[in-house]
Amino acid sequence: MIGGGTTGVGVARDAAMRGFSTILVERGDLATGTTGRFHGLLHSGGRYAVKDPQAARECIGENKILRRIAADCIEDTGGLFVTTPIDDPAYADRFITACQDTGIPAEEIGVAEALRREPRVNPRITRALVVPDATIDAWKTVWTCARSATEYGAKILPYHEVTAVTRDGDRVTGIVARGRGGEQVQIRAQVTVNAAGAWGGRIAAMAGCQVKISPGKGIMVAANHRLVQTVVNRCDMPADGDILVPIRTVSVIGTTDITVSDPDHWEITRAEIDQMLQSGENLVPGFAASRMLRVWGGVRPLFQDDAPAETRDVTRAHAVLDHRKRDGVAGFLTITGGKLCTFRLMAQDVVDAVCTVLGTTRASRTADEPLPDSQDQRFYQLGSRLAEREQTLLDEQLICECELVRRGRLEDEMARRPAPSLDDLRRALRLGMGPCQGGFCMYRAAGILHQLKHLSAAEADQALMAFLEERWKGVYPLLHGDQLRQAWLDDWIFQGVLDVEHLPPTAPAPPQEAAPQEAGPQEAGPQEAAPQEAGPRETATGRAT
Amino acid sequence: MSEQLHTSPVDVIVLGAGMAGLVAAVRLAEAGLRVTTVAKGYGSLRLSPATIDILGYRPDPVDSPARALPGFAAAHPEHPYAQISPALLAEAVQWLKEHVETYAYVGDPDANMLLSTAIGVPRPSAVVPETMAAGDLRSAGPLLIAGIGVLKDFHPSLVAENLEAATAARGRAVRARPVLLNPPTDGDADVGALALARRFEDAAFRAAVVAELRAAVTGEEAIGLPAVLGLDQARSVWAELQQATGRPVFEIPTPVPPSVPGLRLARALQDRLRRVGGRFVLGAEAAGPELRNSELVGVRIRAAARVTPRTCRWVVLATGGLSAGGIGVDATGALSEPALGLPVHGPSPGETGFLPGYLGDHPMETAGLRVDSSLRPVGPDGEPVYPNVYAAGAVIGGARPWREKSGDGISLSTGYLAAEAILKEAG
Repeated sequence: MIGGGTTGVGVARDAAMRGFSTILVERGDLATGTTGRFHGLLHSGGRYAVKDPQAARECIGENKILRRIAADCIEDTGGLFVTTPIDDPAYADRFITACQDTGIPAEEIGVAEALRREPRVNPRITRALVVPDATIDAWKTVWTCARSATEYGAKILPYHEVTAVTRDGDRVTGIVARGRGGEQVQIRAQVTVNAAGAWGGRIAAMAGCQVKISPGKGIMVAANHRLVQTVVNRCDMPADGDILVPIRTVSVIGTTDITVSDPDHWEITRAEIDQMLQSGENLVPGFAASRMLRVWGGVRPLFQDDAPAETRDVTRAHAVLDHRKRDGVAGFLTITGGKLCTFRLMAQDVVDAVCTVLGTTRASRTADEPLPDSQDQRFYQLGSRLAEREQTLLDEQLICECELVRRGRLEDEMARRPAPSLDDLRRALRLGMGPCQGGFCMYRAAGILHQLKHLSAAEADQALMAFLEERWKGVYPLLHGDQLRQAWLDDWIFQGVLDVEHLPPTAPAPPQEAAPQEAGPQEAGPQEAAPQEAGPRETATGRAT
Repeated sequence: MSEQLHTSPVDVIVLGAGMAGLVAAVRLAEAGLRVTTVAKGYGSLRLSPATIDILGYRPDPVDSPARALPGFAAAHPEHPYAQISPALLAEAVQWLKEHVETYAYVGDPDANMLLSTAIGVPRPSAVVPETMAAGDLRSAGPLLIAGIGVLKDFHPSLVAENLEAATAARGRAVRARPVLLNPPTDGDADVGALALARRFEDAAFRAAVVAELRAAVTGEEAIGLPAVLGLDQARSVWAELQQATGRPVFEIPTPVPPSVPGLRLARALQDRLRRVGGRFVLGAEAAGPELRNSELVGVRIRAAARVTPRTCRWVVLATGGLSAGGIGVDATGALSEPALGLPVHGPSPGETGFLPGYLGDHPMETAGLRVDSSLRPVGPDGEPVYPNVYAAGAVIGGARPWREKSGDGISLSTGYLAAEAILKEAG
């Protein structure tokens, strides 16, 4: 498995559950590509009902399944489609028909009722429809999938960048990856799956195959508050900035869609940000004056297929490419396109294809078996961390006040990962994602990492500086008003009081030592995945749960 | 409080209760002027480590602020220090030392001390609370850096390891080793700096700390502790710890607000202001100038959802910079000075305010008012907007206080100078 987004981790879990020996490599931490850069909307399918009924059917089907198997990752916010003053009033009728045709429950409610439910929504809306949209925590989904995959024997190797796809004649035999410390890891496999998303074209090229994936950039802006409690969509054909998603403690407006040439290098322009703020203003008057925390962008893998039709899956939403049929290269599959909401289905389709390649039939069980922490099928509640915190009010330190991260949770997460970066901890725990953007918690986290001997002082310093640089990228394009004051207070803490600018000079980071092996690959499956040719570091396991 | 605002005539309205505002207010009230300080909140002095940093970096490290200042001011004509002479700065420092009785200061502008930060960086600072001075790394012997387990805002192991590396890199290696103390806190595992400072005013708690320190410290070490050694009784708490351990003790400021040393200094100055007859109105803000024939005759004060004009002869504008809200930036990037509507110098909308690198020299950092030689805010023509308005502290642009380590030095000296300018006019 190449790629540690929801798709890749979903495939690893599905394959491991079916008894295949599975190993996954990801060049960064899990969920650092497109997965971790999404707005958090678990589609009902309503957005696609008119334009793309097939995608809509997939969405509503997966929406129902994920509510069963990933309840702990989902907040059941519900969704509203509202006809704002700039929308076509007739679209709502087409929308209702299309929802009926695609099996999406949609109920029209009165404007007064909609405004009672969401008082901040534009009072000039003329129609409102309720659909089963929800929000899904992409990070939590990836961590729990990875944990489950590991429990089923899969190995997950974050911070392993693929440098070569190895071939024996017309057959792909595995990959070579480079770890954080520069160590080479060679992995031999009967089937190699390319789930690198927007980066999938590069991986395919390494195998000598051509897959045209044009990265489509979408930007999102997070406001400090839950301005709405329900996902609010404009009831019109999908457009830029037409969704406002309440996820965890913030509200996210998204998104845009601009093709970029390189998924690693692109910019967010002031015009795009202004567009998001104006769009937000249309949905929730006053939005643009809210405190804006952060802007970020993700790149969607938009698959442009020009190969014969029989080489791909029938759906338009995602595609499984068997490169034996397509390019004459055996043992190599690419999964591309798709959406976060349908990751489970994509994974199932891929592993079905793997079964075909290996000449075996094993049924997927991911539609029925809940993820860890979701067994009781209880949805995530916004107040759950507060409730948890109240239990330990005196007994435990609160490290991140904004996101209510307890010290115990932080220390557990640190222990699970070899040499974690502060950004890894941010994604895993939402540490530093709140209004102060790490101003209060990151010194604490760096201090604890050092105190517990996870990092040397030089490494802790570097981790802190790397976090500050990374955070700055997301905040500086929209700094103004109260959030600017917050950023200045943070600068006072880090530059003024701590003087981080003059931390002791450090030598270049030493190679990472390998962590003890935690779980070996299962050797029982028909697929072989044995690291070879490397020194003792080759079995380093990224304990990415 | 608002009653006072309406009933008694005042000579000076001071807007803002940070370092600059309090220094100006105390000095003016002491000279017999009727002064009302109007503050929206308690002021960012309470977040400050309370070291009087005059100039630490330009950007190379500064050994003597007094010697560096003339050249620095000449090279930065828009910097507030361009209006501050070394003699005036020395006078202001001396004034502060004499006026903060409950919390003594040592040092002078001739030389920077080097004090460890809570992450172990030797930070230059000229005038510091006496409770911090024993940590001066220019002369310190081996150090024991003692954290307190329940305090999450101070990590002694990181301080000690960084400090050894940083002092070695600067050419005078100082040995430092960490220890974590666990005095009883009634089962509370999460005690903030202020709550801990109050506990240090309890003799039994101090005794427990002393017992742990005596067990840990060697005969040659000085003891560095987070700056939580008491609030109102800081001097006696600190003295007792030194006496009971037999070792020099010094405080290291904690990074996350509130700052206990900042609270001590703010309370000392506020007490002084009250004693010399100054009035203090909290929870009110300026809503613009009160004009008569385009002359400023007072300030429109917003308090309790009402705006009331309040007359005065002079105004000291000490509302702070971008962090305190004395300078605002709206969503379009437009700068404003909300209290009196004065023109702000800085990047215009559409111009680059911030650079992509965190430690870049962001043009927005130096946004603020421009002033003349007696600190009156000037317009684009270089002339004072109002002849009777003086600016002090971070509302004046041109400085990078966090980077330069100049914030409280600017606030002290400009607060002092603004008062001096008014006293001169008042005769």
